[in-house]
Amino acid sequence: MFTTLATLAALTLAYQGESDTTVAVQAGARLDVNNFGGEIAVRTWSQNSVRVRASHSTRDRVDVSASATAVSVRTSGRRGPSSIVELQITAPTWMALTLSGVYTDITVEGAGDAVTAESVQGDVTVTGGNGNISLKSVEGSVTLSKTHGRIEITTVEGDVTVSDAVGEISAESVDGDLRLLHIEASSVDVNTVDGDITYDGTIRDGGRYRLSTHDGDVTVSVPPNASVVVSVATFDGEFDASFPVNLTRAGKHRFSFTIGGGSARLELETFDGNIRLRRPGQLTEPAQPERKPKHDNPY
Amino acid sequence: MSDTWTDRLSEYLDGELGGAERIALEAHLAGCAVCAAALEELRRVVARARALDDRPPAADLWPAIAEQIGVSSRAHAARGLEAPRARRRLSFTIPQLAAASVALALLSGGGAWLLVGRHQPERNPSVATPGPKAFGVNAGPADPRYAAAVADLELVMERGRGRLDTATVRVIEKNLAIIDRAIHDAQRALAADPANAYLNLHLAEQMRRKLELLRQVNALAARS
Repeated sequence: MFTTLATLAALTLAYQGESDTTVAVQAGARLDVNNFGGEIAVRTWSQNSVRVRASHSTRDRVDVSASATAVSVRTSGRRGPSSIVELQITAPTWMALTLSGVYTDITVEGAGDAVTAESVQGDVTVTGGNGNISLKSVEGSVTLSKTHGRIEITTVEGDVTVSDAVGEISAESVDGDLRLLHIEASSVDVNTVDGDITYDGTIRDGGRYRLSTHDGDVTVSVPPNASVVVSVATFDGEFDASFPVNLTRAGKHRFSFTIGGGSARLELETFDGNIRLRRPGQLTEPAQPERKPKHDNPY
Repeated sequence: MSDTWTDRLSEYLDGELGGAERIALEAHLAGCAVCAAALEELRRVVARARALDDRPPAADLWPAIAEQIGVSSRAHAARGLEAPRARRRLSFTIPQLAAASVALALLSGGGAWLLVGRHQPERNPSVATPGPKAFGVNAGPADPRYAAAVADLELVMERGRGRLDTATVRVIEKNLAIIDRAIHDAQRALAADPANAYLNLHLAEQMRRKLELLRQVNALAARS
């Protein structure tokens, strides 16, 4: 037994590569990381240096290079892409981040500047960020919180969750739910094909909000003091509001109503699903949203 | 779908309405959600169209596509870059809006170059002077331009699928099927109500999604 364990431990050590590299960075430089498979985890600190700790097979290598404008981290294998490399990176809070991978989970905590993150098969989770925030995954969820800026999120198969965000938000999925919680935005444009959409946030005067799905429910909180024209379209579904609204029919499958002065525009669309308006605080946790009953459209 | 003002929204957006008409339309917009929504959509379409002047197709995507389908990327690139970039005036009536949305999706990336290069060789890819008829009003899935663009992109995808992980291919195929179902749903609904503004725009949105996903896949394969 002991011999077996010792052999396994020796083999593990033999195939385990570790590296720990720290490079100084100049103000304004950006961090550019590409890791074919595994993980990219970025945390931030107040020092003007980047520390890269990597855990990987001895057949893979991690190259860290620095110039006046960027720190670049690249992984590679002996004959092409690397296999699994775990990258733990600590970077200055002010640094802009460009992170990419294929079979790669990407996590960022505490970013203070622009963040671009892109994976093919992997989740993208970002806390923080300021400025242009662009997060993409083909097969994976995208989660963004405590951010400020122009937010653009795209995933094909996966849920999108944005919380505690300020700025302009654009998010798109094909097969996934979109949840926007505690949002302060004057421009929101989100759509999915097969998924529910939840929006809990401000409706600013003059703002534009468009939430659209093909097969799913749309649930939105509207503050009592909102000034907004609400346009609702559902081909096969129901509409209900937790507060009185004065509906005006605006065409087959579409109606509208105005709250307050009607300064903002809120467009809610679902081909096959329900549309619900709630007051802030009335949104139930959307983790297990109730699927819509199949009723004829009454409008 | 339409009222007396819907066909005037484009003129309004271009600042071509007289004072009295403009005031009357603005009063109408305050109470007509359909026209207000259509105006917003129109603004988006026009903004995207104008942005095309300064946004040629992704440089890293087209050469790989061109190589795979056996055409010269240089010739297309040169023609596109040297094309005069006149500021375009765009005018749509509401029934043309959905078609315009799809047409812009065709014109805003690699698919547009495929489309222009292979099927409409004499047309300037920057589309300097489109009026409503330049986009046509029949940009449904059966529209030959859309169908050709989708066919081209699917061909490229098929040739590039060997460079993608099988799990990724499965996910892409599943999601293309989801979009196809949405397109089919919208088409079926439109067959019963062809003039419905919401359904027209919804169909256009799903068609755009399919083009975008195909382009995304091909870009992915080209990088792999």
